[in-house]
This record gives sequence, C-alpha cells and structure tokens, in this order.
Amino acid sequence: MACNNIQTLLKPRWWGTLNQARGEKRKAGIVKFMIIGGLGAAFWVGALLICLRMLRYFSGVEQLGDILAWKFLSMVIVTIFSLLIFSSILNSLSKLYLAKDLKLVHAMPVEGYAIFLARWMEITLDSSWMVILFTLPVFVSYGVVYDPGVFFYITVVVSLVLLSFVASALGAFVVMGVVILVPASRIRTIFVFLGLSVFILLYVVLRILRPERLVDPDAFSATLFYFKSMTAPSSAFLPSTWCYDAVMAALQGAAFEAFFHMGLLLSFVLVMIFVLMFTADLIYFKGVSRAQTSAARLFVKRRLELPLIRRFSGPVKALVTKEIKTFFRDQTQWSQLFLIGALMAIYIYNFKVLPLDRSPIKTIYLQNILSFLNMGLAFFVLTAITGRFAFPAVSMEGEAIWLIRSSPVSPRSFLWIKFLMYLAPLMVLTLLLIIATNILLKAVPFMKLLSCINTVLMVPGVVALGVGLGAAFPSFKSENPAQTVTSYGGLLFMVYSAIFIGGVIVLQAGPVYAVLASRFRGVDLSGLTVSWIVLSFTASFFICIMMVILPLRFGEKRLVKNL
Amino acid sequence: MIELKNLTKKYGKFMAVEGLSLVVPRGEIFGFIGPNGAGKTTTISMMAGILVPTSGDVSICGIDMLTSPREAKKKIGYIPDRPYLYEKLTAMEFLKFMGDLYDMDSDGFEHRAESSLTKFSLLDWADELIESFSHGMKQRLIMAAALMHDPEVVVVDEPMVGLDPIAIKMVKQLLRELAAKGVTIFMSTHTLQVAQDVCDRIGVIHRGQLIAKGTIGQLRSLASSDGGDLEQVFMILTEEKGGGV
Repeated sequence: MACNNIQTLLKPRWWGTLNQARGEKRKAGIVKFMIIGGLGAAFWVGALLICLRMLRYFSGVEQLGDILAWKFLSMVIVTIFSLLIFSSILNSLSKLYLAKDLKLVHAMPVEGYAIFLARWMEITLDSSWMVILFTLPVFVSYGVVYDPGVFFYITVVVSLVLLSFVASALGAFVVMGVVILVPASRIRTIFVFLGLSVFILLYVVLRILRPERLVDPDAFSATLFYFKSMTAPSSAFLPSTWCYDAVMAALQGAAFEAFFHMGLLLSFVLVMIFVLMFTADLIYFKGVSRAQTSAARLFVKRRLELPLIRRFSGPVKALVTKEIKTFFRDQTQWSQLFLIGALMAIYIYNFKVLPLDRSPIKTIYLQNILSFLNMGLAFFVLTAITGRFAFPAVSMEGEAIWLIRSSPVSPRSFLWIKFLMYLAPLMVLTLLLIIATNILLKAVPFMKLLSCINTVLMVPGVVALGVGLGAAFPSFKSENPAQTVTSYGGLLFMVYSAIFIGGVIVLQAGPVYAVLASRFRGVDLSGLTVSWIVLSFTASFFICIMMVILPLRFGEKRLVKNL
Repeated sequence: MIELKNLTKKYGKFMAVEGLSLVVPRGEIFGFIGPNGAGKTTTISMMAGILVPTSGDVSICGIDMLTSPREAKKKIGYIPDRPYLYEKLTAMEFLKFMGDLYDMDSDGFEHRAESSLTKFSLLDWADELIESFSHGMKQRLIMAAALMHDPEVVVVDEPMVGLDPIAIKMVKQLLRELAAKGVTIFMSTHTLQVAQDVCDRIGVIHRGQLIAKGTIGQLRSLASSDGGDLEQVFMILTEEKGGGV
C-alpha cells in the first residue's frame, strides 16, 4: 500500500519530465541537447585530462606519489560527501517544507511518511546526480592510471550512489529537526545561516590549509611533517571513509574488503531509512504545518525609504525600489551573497600569496602577464555572478509580470532599468576585484589603466547579455527562478559570454604584448604597430558597445513575442 | 470609452477570439460573460495591453493600444482574475510602487493610499508583507492599486473571485459609483447574478465570437425567454450555438 502511494506520488515528476521532453520541438530539442551535451562533455573530458595529468605526475614522485594520490582521492570523497550534504539540506528544506504543491499533497489520504519518502527520493536524485556525474572523471582517471579492472568502476558507482543516499538521509534528518526547533517564522532564515556557515567554513579551511606553503622551500620541513600526517587514517565512523575504503579496496583488487565497506554503507542507508520513516511519522507533518507561517523579516522598518532613489523618475523609482526590497527580503538570496563574498575573498587572497619572487620568469613580466590574464579570469567570475543574479532578473518577476505588462512602462524601458540596476553593483564588484589584484600584483600603471578601462567597457556587455538572454528565455512559472541559469538560455548566456570575453582578450593580447615589450626593452613602437594597436582597441570598443545593444534588443523582441 | 474593432487572436491554429467588435461608451458598465475557454480572459488581456492581437484594434479613450501603449495604459485600471503580486513588498509599498509606475504625483500620496486601503479594509495590514495575505486580501489590494491613479477605464477579470460577501457588496457599490463619475467599466464574470445586478449592458462570448450583446431585456428577447433571469438567457444562447457550458 505504502509502496503504491510512493509510486503514485512520484508520478507527477516522472510524467512532467516526459511531457517536457515530448513538448520540445524536435529540431530545437536536438540543438538544445547538442549544446548542453557538448558543454557537459567538454567539461567532463577537461576534468579527466587534468586528473590524469596530475595522477601521472604523482606516480612519478618517489615514495610520496602514492600517498599523494590516495590523499587526493580521500579529499575528493570528503568534498563530494560535504557537497552532497549541503545540497541535500537545501533541497530538503525546499522540497519538504516550502514547495508549492505541499498543500495539495498533504490533503491527499496518504500517510505522512509515504509523502516524506517520495520527496526524499526526489531530493536524493536532485542533489546528487550532478555531483556524481561531474566527479566521475576523477575516479575514471584512477582507473586509467592504476588499471584495476571493471570491478573498480562498479564499486565506484555503487559506493557513490550509496553515499548519496547517506548524505540525503542525514540532510533530511537534520532539516526535520531544525524545522521543529527554530521558530516557525524563521524557517526561511535557515538559508541565511547556511550561507554564512559556508562562508566561514571556506575561509577557515583556506587559512588552515595555506596552500601557498607547498611552493615555499623554506616551509618544506613543515610540509614533510604535513605529508606524514596525511598518511594517518580518517575517522572510521565517517560514511565518506567507508566509501573511500571501498573504492581503495577495489583499486587494489581486494574484492571482499570492497564488499565489506559497501555493506557498511548499505546497512547505514537501511538503518537511516527506518529512522527517517519513524521520525517523519512523528514530526514531518508538524514541521510542514509550522512552515505554513509567513516568514518574519530580519530587518523590520516601517515604510522603508531609499534616499538615493528619490530623485529618479516615477517608473524608474518604482522598479528600482521594488527590485532592491524584494531582493534583500528574499532570505534565500543571502546564502548566495555570502558565498560570493567568500569566493571574492579567496580570489583576492590567492593573488596576495602568489610566490612571484620565486618564479623562474622575470617578476616584472610575470606580474603584467598575470595582470592581463587576470582580466579574463575576473570576467569569468563576473559571468558566473551575472548568471546567478542578472540572468534570472526578468524571471524573478514571476507571475506578477502582468503588473509590468499592463503598466505604462515599455518592455524596452523595463529591460534597460533592469540592466542598469544590475550593472551598478556588478561594475563595482568587478572593479574591486581588478583594482585589488592589480595592486597586489604591483602591475605597471599602463596595465592598471587598461584593466580598469576594459572592465568599464566589458562589464556592461556581460550584464546586458545576462539580462537580454534572461528576458529572451524567461521562466515566470518557475518555483526557483534563480535556477534558470542552468536552463538552455542560461547555457547560451555562458557560451556567448565566454566567446565575448575570450574574443576581446585575444584581440588585445598582441597589442598589449607589443606595448609592454617596447616599454621593457626601451624601444619605440613602429607606425604599423601603432595602427595595429589602434585598430584592435577600436574593434574591442565596437564589440563592447554592440554587446550592450544587441542582447537587450533581442531580449525585448522575444519578451514581447512570448508574453 | 472602449472601442474594439474586428479583434482577433489565434494561438497557433486555435482561434481564441474571432472578429470581435464592440463599443463601450463613457460611464457604462459592460458585463462580459461566457463559458470556460470562450475567450473572455484573452479579450481582456488584449484590452489591457498584455497580449498582442493577431489582428484588429483596441482603442482606449481614443488612444490606440498598439501604436501608443504607454498612453493607453495610463488610462486603464486593470484587475486580473488571479492576484499575483510581489510577495516581498508590503501593501503600502506595493501601492507606492504602482503610484510611481503610473507617474502619480507624490504629494499627498500617503494620505490617498491610506484612504484607499481603508476603503478596502486593508489599513491594518498596510505594513505587512503581501506573502502573508489571503487570496481575498490580495484581490482587494489589486483593486485598491488599480484605482489609485484615477483611471478613465477599468478592466476587470472576474472581480468577485475570493471575496467575502461584505467585500462583494462593497465592490458592486464601488463599480456603480465609478460609473456614475464617468468611468467606463469592462467586466468579465462567471457570477451571472453580479452581471445582472451591476451591468448596464452584457455581451455573451462563445467559442471566441460575440454571439449576443445588449441590456438584460434585449438579451431576453433575443433568447425568446420572457421573464427569465440571466442564467436562463445565458444557457439558451450558448446552447443554441451548439456547446455546453
């Protein structure tokens, strides 16, 4: 009976996926599949090649090689386990307590634990498939280098699937407890707490590991000591250790040992299913009932006025105020902001600890080459952040888009206001990254100026691409519009942005090298070189302008057509 | 005044609205009734400027919706059937948002907004987030917002959905008051009693075509239903055209 109910509860998801696949127009569907599949395959192959190169390098290091390879495998599995837990906590909170269809499902004559189990299966699938798929190259690389046979690959897949079940069981269990313990109106604040924890965790891990020491010969004695500590076994009570032990056993051809460790994982999963069913029967519905309460605001101020915006015209003021307020009141956005803060801190910190003076290349060259390449890197960071915030900006209007469509604001003005709204913070953020890293690199004034000019010219292009393609491929009915960046439109944005950034960087690389070389060698630039430089920079400027106008126009056209 | 000329909307091969022509003069309450899927919401969406017609024209107070949408929309107060709003704004902030969007004078705004919220029994909730509102409260807030900029034309899709009896009575009264002040009201509804109570004229749409229009008396004689109420007339008209309700 319960099994039938669970099966029935999973049907809408399954049918929905099938219908979506059938609904795609055949030609457009194939193109979409090719682009998404191609990008995924490229990433997969790239990761595999990097891992293979690293493992081959490790195998060339006497004595320490194998230790490094095993330690790396153990670190990868611990990271996978942490990612799976983090992802399943977020998914559990959304799917078990905040999903829109919960009222309908709980109104059905089905036991609470059956609803819980059906959702838990979805959570396990959603929070693990991508992690497993994109970490498989690491394991495949071990298979290629150590050649342990087919049993190794089977063990890897089974162990990772079992580890996913363990992680999602722990995540769901934690969420069920927390939802009962925290005040009902603060349940959504868990997202803020989670974001903050990740920020602190990333920072602390970075400070403890201090990876820069690995390239410092003075710290080598300490590093040897560190390697010694690396051979110490991990805690026997951690599921990630069982997974690691199973994979290692399979890698060394010890089938019985591998079965034993997989057995540990399986028995833990079975126990957890029992515990989850029992707990769900006791507290899940109570939690769902508590989560129905509307969220409390973190900052409560009566009729909040934003002074800087007062001077804008009516519609601009309306849209800007609405955007800022709705953004910051959505506590799910906060975890993302903390993550970005952490990534930025790590990004800048990496430049601070670069051992430039110990490099065999002359420091002044290296500093300026890095400064130039850093532009590309910073713009890729910008692309990721734009994808997360500016791309879903139009979709974030949700079903309330009718308010804009029926108001006397044209789609063009609407898109331009959105564009300018996201441009301001993203410009400040990118300039901050570029200026801080250039100062840390001690780049020459020419490079500093060029980086800043390029930032001012290219950030609008990336943001316009995000807003424009976000408007062209909107998802107003999505429960989580922030995830639209993983859609077809989001992938197109990533691809076009990469082409744009790569194109401009390649266009400027030659001229920049010519300028730097002439400066360091004390030679004047020839007339031909000057013409080449002028032509390259003019072309870059023209491309940047077009990248603002064209995507916004395309977005406007598609938005009007689709609504 | 509202003028629809040969308005047509096709979704692929499906004809949602076909050659609809209609004039609603200033100060009239026009009811738009029809079975589910007849084309009511599609017609209203084209009038409100949120859907582009396949062919035909929509004119609001003499302004063409296709060529001058901004000016035309300024004249309209649009109330949709489903109250989707910005859940993270408070009621007062939402009114301010709408006021700014329609470029309303900010002098005395707060006083106007408060009296509007009072009229729709929402003043106590002025500073609460919309996400905590019930369906009916959201519907009332949309009405308050739609009327804030003193529109010359009000376009309402199912005005009474989710409202309690007190609110329904208040809305009926409000619509009559607005019409008396010269506001043109175009209202689609399933609640035939409301249409009968409030509307000066009624149009019946069926399978995308306007099959009848006129006062209740005119519709009765069209349906050859002496003394029957609107429900009876509606049944006869739609069944005559070969379709269930």
